[in-house]
Amino acid sequence: MEKIKTAFEFKLYTNLLRFTGRKAKGLRELREGISLVSEDSLFHHTGQYFLKGAVLEYTNDFAHWAGESLEERGLAEHLSNIDPYGFSSIQDLRQELLRVIDDYLAVFPEPRQSFPGDEFFFNETLILVVPLGIQARNLAEFLMAVKYVDPASIYYHFYEAKLRLGGGVNDFSSWMETALGKKDLAEKINSIDVFMHNLEEVRYLIADLVEKEAHRDMEVI
Amino acid sequence: MLDQYEGIVPRGDMHLLKKLGEKLAGKTFLHVNSTRVGGGVAEILQRMVPLLKDLGIEVRWEVIEGDDPFFTITKKIHNTLQGNPDQISPEMWDYHFEVNRRNAEKMDLEADAVLIHDPQPAPLVEFRKKGCWIWRCHIDAANPVPEVNQALRKYWIKFDAAVYSVAKFARSMDISEFVIPPSIDPLSEKNRDLSNEEINEVAERLQIPRDKSLILQVSRFDRFKDPLGVIRAYKMVKKYDDCLLVLAGSAASDDPEGEEVLQEVNEFAAGDPDIRILMLPPFSDKDINALQRMAGVVLQKSTKEGFGLTVAEALWKGKPVIGGAVGGIPLQIIHGVNGFLVHSVEGAAFRIRQILNNPEMSRTMGEKGREFVRSNFLITRQIRDYLTLWYFLENSGRSFMEL
Repeated sequence: MEKIKTAFEFKLYTNLLRFTGRKAKGLRELREGISLVSEDSLFHHTGQYFLKGAVLEYTNDFAHWAGESLEERGLAEHLSNIDPYGFSSIQDLRQELLRVIDDYLAVFPEPRQSFPGDEFFFNETLILVVPLGIQARNLAEFLMAVKYVDPASIYYHFYEAKLRLGGGVNDFSSWMETALGKKDLAEKINSIDVFMHNLEEVRYLIADLVEKEAHRDMEVI
Repeated sequence: MLDQYEGIVPRGDMHLLKKLGEKLAGKTFLHVNSTRVGGGVAEILQRMVPLLKDLGIEVRWEVIEGDDPFFTITKKIHNTLQGNPDQISPEMWDYHFEVNRRNAEKMDLEADAVLIHDPQPAPLVEFRKKGCWIWRCHIDAANPVPEVNQALRKYWIKFDAAVYSVAKFARSMDISEFVIPPSIDPLSEKNRDLSNEEINEVAERLQIPRDKSLILQVSRFDRFKDPLGVIRAYKMVKKYDDCLLVLAGSAASDDPEGEEVLQEVNEFAAGDPDIRILMLPPFSDKDINALQRMAGVVLQKSTKEGFGLTVAEALWKGKPVIGGAVGGIPLQIIHGVNGFLVHSVEGAAFRIRQILNNPEMSRTMGEKGREFVRSNFLITRQIRDYLTLWYFLENSGRSFMEL
């Protein structure tokens, strides 16, 4: 768990993709895979989808595959509606994914199979985190830094932290509330809709909220 | 040398490389492949080795030596791993091992990390001394001829890890399997910035008129690259838009079908002065670079593909790319964002017209494509991934690490 310090320390994130050895040709095999693969794998196919850098038609790899490879558009919409950051644990996310697939299979028991070569490959990631050597002790310093840091740093602190910290709170908001006592700002930042914005847009929205708050702090009257 | 990449590659990659370099400085890293020049593996190693040295890593690049019969056998192995039916006799397997054994006697295989590229030098793993050994598979080996797969298995299981370019090229091998896509070098002759004078010089020399929209495909003359499909798509577009088609490729000496396909292409294109078939000699990197920069739209309409790095090359030059949804192409083209994925000649023609008639959309796609390549397909990212893998293998059993 990220320890809250007085100064916010920006970190850089990278991951390495590892094939689990498991793949799925159809929806029932996908379901079986989801029920068995590691938590790392489930998080990779849902939470890390946002690292792709563009707002796409789907919001996770399972939905993408269901829509594009199985052409089960309705299922893809249901799966896209799952917010991986809205669960307190990956196990809860797993149960929700299974529930959505089970509900779909109850109505459409014979879904299409994928073409050879277009199977779903279950992967997982090894994660490496490196300090960026940039610290912020107040909102002004934070504003400078958040405009500058690598997108992977924004991802790590804003997206990944929501599951890492539990409770769906990102690192920036945790620090602002705990170290700066900025509860309202923390809540506003935490409520930015990750489904509707790519990493650069999220960076812009955070900077905008912080800048407005810093201006308010500077006003004498 | 690493400093030359400042401002071109992501800052984060530079930072990670330096941090990983601090951890691995002074350690030894050996690459072994089968050729010093020619082919994508040699091309990237020529650029990667000096960069690794710059990070303080004691890197060496060895090339396996063999005679014609050896390379005939390894070509068969290469093709059968990609699923082409053929047989390899026990004597051939023995000779494959024997040549590797002789190489192992001459080669210094002692290193902290050893990266063996493709199947030719795979038996060297029998002579491993220390360090972690990684097998780097650059081809689509998802559906190999089973007997060949079985014969090579005895080598693979002795590696610590295998690395593929695309997840769907992988298969269960009883060792850890990782996915590391290949990359392009933004400073190489094929990808560096060119001045207008340089581009104009190439256009004049190759007699490419600049007053028409240029549709370009750069590829070998191979049926899987669908050159006839590209010409059909161009003919459909030509009814609406005055344009020029350039099919640029080089002769592949290891492909007996190449000549036949080229003849078919020439016959199909005959009589249309706006179709240019360019047979470029080896080392035409600057010409390819200039052609990609002249293009209004770039195609890679493959029906079967490895990774298809020509897509990343064109995206890097700010061009929207229309590609077949095969191999590594869908990893590079985000449909509707930096280009289009197509499944037919008609689809390709429609998307070409869309791009040629929407300069603003084309410009936006081009910008997004360049940034997508910057984030995902530059050489610094590939080095970062190799070093991260090495670091994890040295600290095996952990899935989260903080430097």
